[in-house]
Amino acid sequence: MSKEYEFTRVIKDNEGVIFKITTIYTDNSEDQKDLYQEIVYQLWKAYDSFKGNSKISTWMYRVALNTAITRLKKEKRRGNRVGIDKIVMQQTDHHDAEFEERLKMLYAHIQGLNELEKGLMLLLLEGKKYEEIAIITGLSPSNVGTRISRVKHKLKTQIVKK
Amino acid sequence: MELEEMQEVWSQLSGQLEKQKKLTDKMIIMMTQEKYRSRLNKIAYPEMIGTVICYGVGIFILININKLDNWYTLLSGIISAIVLFVLPVLSLRSINKMRNVNIATNSYKETLLEYAKGKKQFQNGMKLGYYFGFVLMFTIMPVTTKLLNNKDLFEGTKSIWPFVIAIPLAITFFIVFSKWVFKHYITNINSAQSLIEELEETEQ
Repeated sequence: MSKEYEFTRVIKDNEGVIFKITTIYTDNSEDQKDLYQEIVYQLWKAYDSFKGNSKISTWMYRVALNTAITRLKKEKRRGNRVGIDKIVMQQTDHHDAEFEERLKMLYAHIQGLNELEKGLMLLLLEGKKYEEIAIITGLSPSNVGTRISRVKHKLKTQIVKK
Repeated sequence: MELEEMQEVWSQLSGQLEKQKKLTDKMIIMMTQEKYRSRLNKIAYPEMIGTVICYGVGIFILININKLDNWYTLLSGIISAIVLFVLPVLSLRSINKMRNVNIATNSYKETLLEYAKGKKQFQNGMKLGYYFGFVLMFTIMPVTTKLLNNKDLFEGTKSIWPFVIAIPLAITFFIVFSKWVFKHYITNINSAQSLIEELEETEQ
């Protein structure tokens, strides 16, 4: 099996995950497309260094999240941010007004978190166990637990405020 | 919205995205061939052009330093040259730091820590750059007047009134300007600092 074939299969299997990461870390569709492309490029560049010591999805989350952070840094220097509404509306092919409204609320909550919490929240929503979150983030599993409790508390406070 | 509800919305979204796969092999291969470096270079271009200009003017001053024949033009020349050599280093250092982040092997925490430190450094650099730029605005005037027109800015001006008016005005402007710069950057620096502290706290 050629390297290209294997790689395209990995990307295809995980295209939804990459899409969700790009939505969380950008707030307009142009930046989102750019980030998507950049994540795929960085994954390709790093593909040879993947030794198979961890699950491919763990490695992929790590590279994608790292790319998103460094990308964010460059984007912030340029300024000009647009609201997330536009992206949310294009999220799925089947437009369901109620679902999109709920999705918008979900993103608004996530946007209120800091970068560390944002990454933790994403992995939690993706259904990752604390151990895997720990491998991706570089925190200890107990620390992941403590941080996630804080995120939950912060979200509750946000809800009360709203 | 409770966490359980968030998880439900997220899993609904995941399900929908799973059904509507859009990428083709060709699209993926094209994305891998995108020249990332050139894109980063586009960001670095203005900084690089600025560096060439700063260094060019700085070298021009140094080559002609013997023509600055009195203490104030000489002092202005030295200060200008220092500022012109230091300013580009401040911005290029933060771009270089950005390039050296190891995306492939770093954990999220490590990248975030480097990002926060880089951000803080960049913001501090920008702040310092404004102050240096302000100083340069004044020191460069007697130097260029001397080197380009062979005139002494102070001796060539017959009346002292332009200076009497200009100096208090410049000081007032500088105070207002400094306050603005400080206010503008302090929030960003503080948020980067609190993220650094939070990340370092996880190591304890």
